[in-house]
Amino acid sequence: MSLLRADLGEAEAATSIEPESSSPGAQAQEFVGRTPWRLAWARLRKDRVAMVSLGVVILLVLVALLAPALTALIGHPPNAQYTTTGLSLSGIPVGPGHNGFLLGADDQGRDILSRIIYGTQVSLEVGVGSTAIALAVGMVVGLVAGFYGGLVDTLLGRFMDILLSFPILLFALAIVARFGPSLELVLIVIALFTWPYIGRLVRGQVISLREREFVEAARALGAGDLRIMFVEIAPNLIALAVIYATLLIPVNIVTEATLSFLGLGVQPPTASWGNMISEAQTGDLFTVAWWFLVFPCVALVVTTLAFNLLGDGLRDALDPRYGRSQIPTPTRVRRAARLMRGKAADEAKAGAS
Amino acid sequence: MSRFLLRRLVYLVIVLVIITLVTYVIFFAGNANNLAARFAGRDASPQAIKDTAIRLGLNHGFWYQYWHYLKGLVHGNFGYDFQNAVPINSEIARAFPVTASLVIGSVVIWLLIGIPIGIMSATHPRTVRDRAGTTFALTFLSMPTFVLGVLFLLVLYYYLTQAGLDWFPAAGYVSISQSPGQWVDHLLLPWFTLALVQAAVYTRLIRGSLLDTLGEDYIRTARAKGLNRRTVIYKHGVRAALTPVVTQLGIDIGTLLAGAFVTEHVFGLTGLGQLGLNAIFTGDLPVVAAVVVLAATFIVVMNTVVDVVYAWLDPRVRIA
Repeated sequence: MSLLRADLGEAEAATSIEPESSSPGAQAQEFVGRTPWRLAWARLRKDRVAMVSLGVVILLVLVALLAPALTALIGHPPNAQYTTTGLSLSGIPVGPGHNGFLLGADDQGRDILSRIIYGTQVSLEVGVGSTAIALAVGMVVGLVAGFYGGLVDTLLGRFMDILLSFPILLFALAIVARFGPSLELVLIVIALFTWPYIGRLVRGQVISLREREFVEAARALGAGDLRIMFVEIAPNLIALAVIYATLLIPVNIVTEATLSFLGLGVQPPTASWGNMISEAQTGDLFTVAWWFLVFPCVALVVTTLAFNLLGDGLRDALDPRYGRSQIPTPTRVRRAARLMRGKAADEAKAGAS
Repeated sequence: MSRFLLRRLVYLVIVLVIITLVTYVIFFAGNANNLAARFAGRDASPQAIKDTAIRLGLNHGFWYQYWHYLKGLVHGNFGYDFQNAVPINSEIARAFPVTASLVIGSVVIWLLIGIPIGIMSATHPRTVRDRAGTTFALTFLSMPTFVLGVLFLLVLYYYLTQAGLDWFPAAGYVSISQSPGQWVDHLLLPWFTLALVQAAVYTRLIRGSLLDTLGEDYIRTARAKGLNRRTVIYKHGVRAALTPVVTQLGIDIGTLLAGAFVTEHVFGLTGLGQLGLNAIFTGDLPVVAAVVVLAATFIVVMNTVVDVVYAWLDPRVRIA
């Protein structure tokens, strides 16, 4: 944990989020040791955008878990067809707010809200499930490759490279088409093509971690390879894993939706946001009932946006400076801002605040 | 240099062998007779299925068929498709210009949108302009391509047309040699669909890398010796910050050239992606294999190009 702690300590000193430590009475105060996770949580809590996203994510999880109860409350099961209340006399689906259909009905008279609620279940199941598998496999392979190096590393590295030069979508489609689409298969296929990203990342970290003193110390105490890899080194990768998992979940949710949109993911009548959008697009149904198309789109975008924003917030909060991150560290941003704005602007800002 | 290229060539061959083998395994994992039955027509008699299998070469063993395919590949021959017995080479020759038009156009657009917004964001960190840039990036980053595509179709095609403004056609492709104006017109929506999502990636990328660069000591030195802000940003900062963009661009072009599946599907463009998709639905093995081969080749070749360009941009990197 030493790497993380040192980094966080430095960032902490720079941001100084605890004002009472500089107040006159500070000496009398008792110092309480804070774990890196506490520090990260404190910083995350100050990030309003991340907290809102966290709220949305929790809400989505609740919606997915409570789907049966929620649809019972609405009174419209997701696959029930309401040909009398859901469709007008000429067979056109009713719009949002009519006849108790809050978000309208689709072409078969099914409640769009109920279907979106059940779609949340599918999305989260595939998104979280495939990410968990990818994370587990990527961690183990990355640890082994990075720790042993040499031939093992070359072979595993090449294997990951080759897997990454596969046209992912095409292969996923081919596999699903061959073995028949099902939720489980989609989940596994997505995991199959995403774990190398985690594997590579972990490998890079492990290569630098294995040279550190704590590994040497563990070795001196007689720890075996397995213990060093999974007990000593692995905990240092948790922050990285948390951040990338949060950023991989929305990618995998989109992949599932895309597969379903193309007709080779979750199969109707089971509702998924992707196949709802696809149904709305076939036969240009959206031209008579825009809600059929727009609401699943909104659900999908809100979900991915929430996960992305939360992932960004987590990365800022944990600030682990792993690899060539696309998000510069807060310290870097401050430095660049100072340099670019020049002294005058800095003073103006100091005066204003 | 030539050793580097040779090594990459060997790597490409290995990747192609593995990738085609996997394709074959996927298709034969079930029953080969199934594959023949799909092309024998409706309610085909067992004899007809057998004949079809012979016609398609499916009666031979797995390894024989695979070997036969590789031999054709070495001669640059992708074989004939199962559906209509048309040479696949000519199908690819027809589809590739569509995909290429789509990709090249949107690359230009996404660079023109992404890079300036990224630079603006990075040079005004923590200001309203930065916020706007980051918001743009995150919005489109969270927008799946097909969602943006169908929303464009709904708003820019359907609602505009209803309002009497038929600026955008719904679907289809007109080649540039036929009518350059129509070519642009038909591709505008697909271009922007693909480009906006990609531009978001590049905005983030260049913002991050430029912010990192601007925090370097040599930038402070350049400012300290009295160079003006503009020179420092563009000559010292942006130039150095462009390297990750080059890497990403290579990967993206490589991936998309083999078929921008989703965009092509939404807008009914008959490019490589559609070719591959249709082949997957009909079970047309040689066509799928051909698209897979092209895709892997583009990815490996573009990675090689990236490495060469990288070494040229950054003298510290040497190709070995």
